[in-house]
Amino acid sequence: MRRLDIGDRLLAYLVFAAAVVLVTFFAFQHKLSREWHLPGSPTLYLFGVAGTILLCVSVVFVITKRTGTGGSPLGWFSAHVVTATLGTVLVTIHSGGFLRYAPALLLVALLFLVILGVWARVRLSKDMAATFATRDESFSPPRSEDREQLARLIEEKESLLSRLEPGASEGTFSPMLKHWFLKPGVTLAYARLIGRENKLLGVRSSVSTAQAYWRLVHIVLAFAFVLGMLGHVITVTFFAGYVSGGGEIYWWHLTKW
Amino acid sequence: MGKLALMIDLERCFGCKSCEAACKQEHRLGPGQYRNKVVWLGDASTGAPDFLTLTCQHCERPACLRACPVHPKAITKDPETGVVEVHESLCTGCGECVMACPYSAMGYDAQGHHSVKCDLCPERRERGLDPACAEICPGYAISFGDRENLLEKAHEEGRHLRDHDHFLLKPQTIYLEKIGRENGRANSADGLSLSEKPSRPRFVDSPAASDVFEEKGPAFPYLHDKKTFEADRVVPGGCNFCFNCCSAKFHFQGDKLINVTGNDEDPALNGKICPKAQFTLQLHHNEHRLEYPLKRVGRRGDGEFERISWDQALDEIAAKLEVLREKWGTEALALFVGTRTGLITQKGYVRLFSQMWGTPNLQGTDPFCAAGKVVAYEVTHGINGNGNSYTPEDIGSAGMYLYIGDNQAETRPVYFGKVNDWRIRNKTKMVVVDPRYTATAAKADKWLAIRPGTDMALGLAMAHHILSENMHDARFCDEWVLGWERWRDFIISKGYSPDWAEAVTGIGADDIRALSEDVARADGCVIFGSRGLNQHTNSVQTNRTFMFLAAITGNWGRKGGAYVNMTAGPPIAANAPEERRAEIRKPMVRRSPAGWLSAMREGKPYPVKGLITCNNPLAQWPGQDDARAAFQALDLIVHIELFANETSAYADYVLPAAGGIEKGELGRTNDDRRIVWIDKMIDPPGEAKPDGWIWTELGRRLGFGDVMKEEYKDPGKFWDEMCIDNDFLRGVTQKRLHSVPWRWVRFPVASEDAPEQETLYLEGTTATGQPEGKRFPTPSGRLEFWTEELEEKFAKVGLSALPEFYSEKENLLGLPYLEYEHEDDDLEIISPFSKTPTGSRTARIVQPEEGNIGDALRREGFETTLITGRPPAPHFHSWTHYFWQAQEMWPDLYCEIHPRKAEALGIEDGEKVRVETAHGAIEAMAWVNAGIREDSVYVPIGWGERQPYHPWRSVNFLTDIAQRDPASDQTNLKSLLCRISKA
Repeated sequence: MRRLDIGDRLLAYLVFAAAVVLVTFFAFQHKLSREWHLPGSPTLYLFGVAGTILLCVSVVFVITKRTGTGGSPLGWFSAHVVTATLGTVLVTIHSGGFLRYAPALLLVALLFLVILGVWARVRLSKDMAATFATRDESFSPPRSEDREQLARLIEEKESLLSRLEPGASEGTFSPMLKHWFLKPGVTLAYARLIGRENKLLGVRSSVSTAQAYWRLVHIVLAFAFVLGMLGHVITVTFFAGYVSGGGEIYWWHLTKW
Repeated sequence: MGKLALMIDLERCFGCKSCEAACKQEHRLGPGQYRNKVVWLGDASTGAPDFLTLTCQHCERPACLRACPVHPKAITKDPETGVVEVHESLCTGCGECVMACPYSAMGYDAQGHHSVKCDLCPERRERGLDPACAEICPGYAISFGDRENLLEKAHEEGRHLRDHDHFLLKPQTIYLEKIGRENGRANSADGLSLSEKPSRPRFVDSPAASDVFEEKGPAFPYLHDKKTFEADRVVPGGCNFCFNCCSAKFHFQGDKLINVTGNDEDPALNGKICPKAQFTLQLHHNEHRLEYPLKRVGRRGDGEFERISWDQALDEIAAKLEVLREKWGTEALALFVGTRTGLITQKGYVRLFSQMWGTPNLQGTDPFCAAGKVVAYEVTHGINGNGNSYTPEDIGSAGMYLYIGDNQAETRPVYFGKVNDWRIRNKTKMVVVDPRYTATAAKADKWLAIRPGTDMALGLAMAHHILSENMHDARFCDEWVLGWERWRDFIISKGYSPDWAEAVTGIGADDIRALSEDVARADGCVIFGSRGLNQHTNSVQTNRTFMFLAAITGNWGRKGGAYVNMTAGPPIAANAPEERRAEIRKPMVRRSPAGWLSAMREGKPYPVKGLITCNNPLAQWPGQDDARAAFQALDLIVHIELFANETSAYADYVLPAAGGIEKGELGRTNDDRRIVWIDKMIDPPGEAKPDGWIWTELGRRLGFGDVMKEEYKDPGKFWDEMCIDNDFLRGVTQKRLHSVPWRWVRFPVASEDAPEQETLYLEGTTATGQPEGKRFPTPSGRLEFWTEELEEKFAKVGLSALPEFYSEKENLLGLPYLEYEHEDDDLEIISPFSKTPTGSRTARIVQPEEGNIGDALRREGFETTLITGRPPAPHFHSWTHYFWQAQEMWPDLYCEIHPRKAEALGIEDGEKVRVETAHGAIEAMAWVNAGIREDSVYVPIGWGERQPYHPWRSVNFLTDIAQRDPASDQTNLKSLLCRISKA
């Protein structure tokens, strides 16, 4: 089956185009009318809404790849890349360069997420490729104490697995999104065992810190961003008074708390 | 169907990386993408090399599968076969599986952003074939099949399995543990274990080494969808890279070459090939190939050229040759034609051209590689080469293998795979004598780290012990050896005992005695010698010493016993009719092109003003500073080659050559007398032409067209009609070569229906072309150690027919060495060892005195012996440096240095170092490795400063034109004093 991958070159074009749009916008922003300077003006508000929708599309990838719903995970990954980039452009324009308040942190996080993702895809891929055949020490004679520790861990995993997913084989099982929703406690316990096992296997310690943790940082930051974005939407919609700090409330809102 | 698995035998693997090349070829993987990889490891304390073929373990509890965050998983495990597979269409490229695999066996495609891994070649399995790696492995180290059956086979052979299940993942790939060794290496109950902290050459893994591939992807077919390229025809032929000369099969879709594999129908090589043969793909699809004739427009050496037509190039060259002939005479043209061009070019087309033009100065690479052993064979045995074959009944039946100065595992890996397999099957003892712990030594029962340049002393001491103890084969000596008693008396009178040799060679006297006794008592011992013996100023005498050793122990003219010094050159000799040959009025300046430099620079003994050259003399010839100065002095340089290299930059005209299956040619000479034919299968790139076409066209322009006929551009016709009219080759016709699917015939065969002979010179047989009953092709019909005629010949160059010990003048101990009584600027001495009149030099053996060159150099800090030689199996001289994958495997020029010496000099593994001799200096990457004598360093040949991926100055900036064997003109390339420092 043909892979629906975005190559490095296309990704570079996409990011370059996004950067050109943003640089052009901010270079000529001073020539535009006032509504292009205020994040809550009808025009920039719409940019914000559109950007948010695109970023939400980007988040769909996270769900589809973990649930097996919605078709090709790779197709969704490509959508993730494109919508995240476009969403970032729109949200940045939405900011209007208004960076003195807390939402600016969201913008910084978003830009960092994009940069991290692109860097991982383009640069870190080479490190991933270079990981092959680096752990030759794994072929030397094993230490019995490590194996005993692992054996106990596997036993614990098997015991938990009978509660988490009866009938599943420990050797090929890993928790999915549904397990987190249906049995969060057991899943968390199981995930901890996986973490301990990974430590014994040297999963992250065998590679560079960047390679080991970039994805974790990407996920945690994205999660934080989504929460922050929700907070921003709620506050400007329901707590417009608080957001305006006693000033003019010029954006669409529901309450002035 | 049971669970499938690979079984990798660590005892058989010698690190050639052929499986790696086969995997990339099969799966069209590009630079940096791996499904398997052969890792070179070494015991940090002893330097013993270990090789680990690292590939997917197809674990029962696959950590990669569990780490995959995609649902359904992009990695699955087949419940029936146990194969763990990655589904690239589902993989999002997050890299979690790459980190999760504790064996680091999950590859990653950095361009396509997805994981790649070994899936045991499902398409091949569907066709009933083994995975590509298992099929091709020259070492018979990789087996494939039902895991239970493999385990049973291992058990039957009494082999131990390596337990590498650190992580309770239940890895299914089987590793057979190495068999125990000597040399103080730990033998556990389960056999030899890898060192806990193995050393691994850092420069090979350096990210900078692979960065060079990023700009452009590799040429077709790598990174192309293999499913769109199914072969529609397969043509048998051969590989022409090295002296193993393997048969091969070339797979085509239409006119496009899409795969190169071994020839599974070949009864001798069994479909095994090394990486180089597979790199033929990268030779024929290569952006660096020369495609058009070029004419120099800049200064010589600058490499500035304009494209011209063939007619213009050949017309102008012919016109300039006419001027050269008019002004300086025909002898002023020298021809250097290396082995890359093929035997038919060397001994056919160019030989004809030289006869008709009238120059004696025609040479190939022999004086740099093998001239010493050729002379030694000729004077001892009558003709060059041994008479044995790599068959189970002959070399396979030996009771012992002794390698001296021969790293066969890396220089002729397919032959070594066979020998190593026989060693294991028959429990045959193997000993390796080499200053380095080579890949060959890694398989031996014992490694003896000899001091460079002292092999003759070892041979003499072994003979001394054998003869003193009456362990020699008295009947063979009496009946078949002339002058052996005189030699016995000589070495005993000289006191060449093991105790004497201990101080000279650095090998313990007891070890020498034990080795001698092993050789004498073995029911057949094959003594392998090669460049380690050849590339010295004592080349002929050292080779003779070991020939004598083989002879006195009865290891000559028998199955399972021999002295094998590489190739047995077939007597190919195209000759122009006597009346059409130009008169040659002067002798050849010197046998070695290194001896031509005085004629080029100073016109002495007579001017050489023009050079038509193939290959890459400006990386390959010793004394590069001298060589380049000499090239600057020439009126005309024509370079015929595949790739633009250092020599091209100095040429007036560069002519693009065709190679291998682009032209139709003979494979190289090889160890067991196989004449391998390679058909023309595809057109060369651009306007490149076969060497034969170029020489014929040039000849036609000079009026040689009646002999160098148009029809002879067809190499098959030229072969049949011009090259094989003698008792050795008359039967090796095109018809016979094409009558067998492996395309080779073992000579001698005097007629088309004459049977091939497995072993020559057996008792009761007659040597080819000799009167009935004459067993050996010497004048006496016996092996000749000493005769009056021989003594006279050797005396002419200042030596004796009885080999007396001497080493190189640049030595660390103050050993006897040669002083020359002539330079290269006269013709006072005509070599008694050359078939045509050739200038030579007289030398004399001198005992070291205070203030001699070695002493002076040592006082200046040149306290290390430099050894040069072949790099590992994926490389061969210059041309493999234009193939991305050979460069990926072994990227940089390196300097192998012992850890204690490195520490003393403050050098760390992977750092850049400067290596300096009295003749020049270069830089290289340090490979700190205990597998070399502490007093020596090793720098390989083949790198050049104009190569596309990893350019480095050639090691021949460090070598010397003057240090040559007076008998064979062979250059010393193995023992020069040097000093090392951080660059």
